[in-house]
Amino acid sequence: MSSETGPHHGEAVAARIERRWAALSIVIVGVLVGMATFIGIHQATMPQGRVELANPRTLHLSGEFIESNLGTSVEADGSVVVRAVGQQYSFTPQCIVVPVDTPVNLRTTSADVVHGLLIEGTNINTMLVPGYIADLQIRFKKPGEHVMPCQEFCGIGHQGMWGKVKVVEKDAFAKLMASRRRISCVE
Amino acid sequence: MLSSKRLILAHFWLAFAAFGVALVLGAWQMFVRSPFNVWHFNPEFYYRSVTAHGSVMGYVFPTLVAMAFGYAITESALEKPMIGRRWAWTGFFLVAIGAVVAMVPVSLGLASVLYTFYPPMVGNPFYYVGVVLVVVGSWIWVALMSINFIAWKRENPDRPVPLAMFANVAGAYLWGWTAVGAALEILFQILPVAFGLRSTIDAGLARVFFSWTLHAIVYFWLIPTYIAYYTIFPRAIGGRLYSDAMARISFILFVVVAMPIGVHHLFADPQVGAGFKFMHSVFTGLVALPTLLTVFTICASAEIASRLRGGKGAFGWVSALPWKNPIMLATALSLVMLGFGGAGGLINMSYQLDASIHNTQWITGHFHLIFGGAIVIMYFAIAYDLWPHLTGRALNTFGMMRTQLWLWFIGMIVTTFPWHYVGILGMPRRMAFYDYLNPAIAPQAFSVMMSAIGGFILLISGILFLTVLFRGQFGMRSEAGAYRFAIPVHMPARIPVALNSFGLWLALMIGLTLVNYGFPIAQLLALPQTNVPAVYVGAAR
Amino acid sequence: MSEQKLFSFRNSWFSTSVGTTVAIAIASALAGLIWLPLAQPDLKLAGIWDAICSAAGIPRAPVSASVQQPDFKTSNVVLTPDTIGRKDAVSIGRGATLAQRCAICHGPQGVSDANSPNLAGQFAEVTYKELHDFKTGARVNVVMSPFAANMSDQDMKDVAAYYAYLPRVPSSKADEKVPPPPIVVTGAPMRNIPPCGSCHGELDYKAGSPWLGGQSAVYIKAQLQAFAAGARRNDISQQMRNIARHMTAEEIDQVARYYEAQP
Repeated sequence: MSSETGPHHGEAVAARIERRWAALSIVIVGVLVGMATFIGIHQATMPQGRVELANPRTLHLSGEFIESNLGTSVEADGSVVVRAVGQQYSFTPQCIVVPVDTPVNLRTTSADVVHGLLIEGTNINTMLVPGYIADLQIRFKKPGEHVMPCQEFCGIGHQGMWGKVKVVEKDAFAKLMASRRRISCVE
Repeated sequence: MLSSKRLILAHFWLAFAAFGVALVLGAWQMFVRSPFNVWHFNPEFYYRSVTAHGSVMGYVFPTLVAMAFGYAITESALEKPMIGRRWAWTGFFLVAIGAVVAMVPVSLGLASVLYTFYPPMVGNPFYYVGVVLVVVGSWIWVALMSINFIAWKRENPDRPVPLAMFANVAGAYLWGWTAVGAALEILFQILPVAFGLRSTIDAGLARVFFSWTLHAIVYFWLIPTYIAYYTIFPRAIGGRLYSDAMARISFILFVVVAMPIGVHHLFADPQVGAGFKFMHSVFTGLVALPTLLTVFTICASAEIASRLRGGKGAFGWVSALPWKNPIMLATALSLVMLGFGGAGGLINMSYQLDASIHNTQWITGHFHLIFGGAIVIMYFAIAYDLWPHLTGRALNTFGMMRTQLWLWFIGMIVTTFPWHYVGILGMPRRMAFYDYLNPAIAPQAFSVMMSAIGGFILLISGILFLTVLFRGQFGMRSEAGAYRFAIPVHMPARIPVALNSFGLWLALMIGLTLVNYGFPIAQLLALPQTNVPAVYVGAAR
Repeated sequence: MSEQKLFSFRNSWFSTSVGTTVAIAIASALAGLIWLPLAQPDLKLAGIWDAICSAAGIPRAPVSASVQQPDFKTSNVVLTPDTIGRKDAVSIGRGATLAQRCAICHGPQGVSDANSPNLAGQFAEVTYKELHDFKTGARVNVVMSPFAANMSDQDMKDVAAYYAYLPRVPSSKADEKVPPPPIVVTGAPMRNIPPCGSCHGELDYKAGSPWLGGQSAVYIKAQLQAFAAGARRNDISQQMRNIARHMTAEEIDQVARYYEAQP
């Protein structure tokens, strides 16, 4: 087999090279998928783990998305939770305040159509689909301000749907939280 | 032997006319939302235009090109007149009528919901009816491709189906099945609401159905391009195809894994479980495989052609390629854009990286580079290659063709590279205008201006393209001879039955769909409380 | 070409492709549905079965966290395409009778110069919602609150249907030549102000947003100021307060004068 010549030899060489390339391609794909799995396991950055429902008709009547419960809160167990609603054409609260370097649970839903939110300068990005709650674990490394546009077409006013996020030092946050149960940076 | 020339030309002309109109809209959109424009205008016009641009470029244009090319392949690869030409005309008129029916409400501003529909927003019912007609027209094509394929195999039990036809039927089956997702969404969810029979809709379920169509539709757009890579390019540059079997495997892989991966468009959605997102992400990785195989085979085929022309050296053979040949040029430029676009696609497919660019301008840049760039430039090449055979007239404005292809490439790079960049900065998609004076987004202004300039380069290229075809239609009469496809270096004497039929692959495609989509769809269907009130668009005025 | 049998495990194409596909599907399902969720400490899963259910997307029951109750009355109107129901002749006729007592301020044909809102041709959802909010106290007005207090839900729907049925009449201050100010046409995106028309009907309609053309400038201005100051809070989830609080006094003025002059 090793000393064959002629057209059959050429065909065998061609097939061998081709097989090697196919094997390499499979390895490349395997590495990519493996990387995503590895990061998923070790940095626990996976999509939201549970599906939760919310009725967009009655968000304002009862439950965690009523107006007075929106904004940033410190729960009984000491964790920081931000609750926000997306609607045509604003987020409420339209300015979210969070402490720096603290794990924050961002819970959002939509009151009408499909919206999305992303916080520029971070990799925080989620869809707000009416009927469901988007639940995200987020963390900000530095204090500062970010803009938070709606990233999904939600109607003719979509281009005007920009919110804000203000990241403050931990003691400043504690001071804000001392006087009120729910806070935001809406002036 | 092309005997249905009028049919094929009709498809191509309608496709390219629609493309021309949508291209003008696209360039206008790039301009109005850039800092070149004073943004004191009605944003509704912008969304109207985006809806029209997306619907034409996504549904009408590539579908007609795939249909036209499919008919041309059927007749020239199988070397006999196609079965069902009357039905093909029916399909053509359905697509044409559907396009008009859809575009009337859109241009009146009654259905500015974008081509991705976005329920619970619901626009004028005739927009959706039009889209359904386009899809039904294309399903006639799917059926005809299948019938011609089966009939030929029955008449020629001892010969392998020519590669071009095999690939073409793969594309037809892929489209036939992938269009089902959007069809279910429109027929059972949106239309009853649009016609006022119901007033609630499950937006989350609709997004799952749409993802079924949304990703694999890209491969439906891609398949004519890959057919051109494998069966036109090697012949056009005087070479041979490196491997026939590998080509078949690539198309088979598209059929099997292109479809059950759509949930990677829903990574950031709250209504699908993380486990299914992971499964779809694994299969999304697999779909890179046929492209990697294709790049190898095409580069190897180019090397064969070059060596036959006297090309030497490990890399020196590249310079011996016939660069003045428009097909050579288009393929090379297409592969470059495919390389960049594919690299971007690898970022989109991983959940962790996707989070930083999801629904930003990166995504728009990405699919314009892959579809508008790598794919559409080969549509141009296909048209240039087929035109003399269809019109019976010489097409010899080679300089103009090369200029056109270069302009398309440059325009696409100038448009999409800054587009990707502002996406990384976090610029959201689908907004009519931006206040660039605001310090938070001012750094994005320059890149957006670059993109807008690229948009106009693309417009010029598009005009040149139509000019070349138009002149070809009225050129000197000349007999172009039979239309032929590339032959492989080693023509296999026999082919395993698996590489000459689709039964197994369709079974795997449907099986995988059930595994990957069955449970998420069934469980959302079983949750009645996820139906939310519809929001009618454009109705009150 | 077809002497081989394809659908048989003796055909290596069949066994390899089916075997590989099934293996990848099972491996990715095991990883996605069991391994990855269990590796996430935040999820606090109760075991393998809980991991599978949550990763498959089975919704979990709402968690009970303490909810901060409001210290003011919020609107409890639910606006959907079915809120008003059918606006038939009976409903409009009843509404016409009931509306006689509204005529002093709102005019016999739903139009007046008394700086109270013109109701002729107003979207039915709007009239209904405001009446409902006056009744529940989500919106307070010395004149309107007592009127609404005694109205039944059907009364409010009928009055709303009647006014929606009346044709819009341009106000005495109509002037088509007043150019739309930028804040109306494009809003101010970075201040979260969309174009007025994207909700109020000229571009598109969001249920509950009133038609503004021909309304008294004094009234529009007073309402925008009340929203901005937080004195009026019956806009569900702050949808109008979010906008009004970022408008300048000059912009409020321009908007009020522009809409008064519109048909």
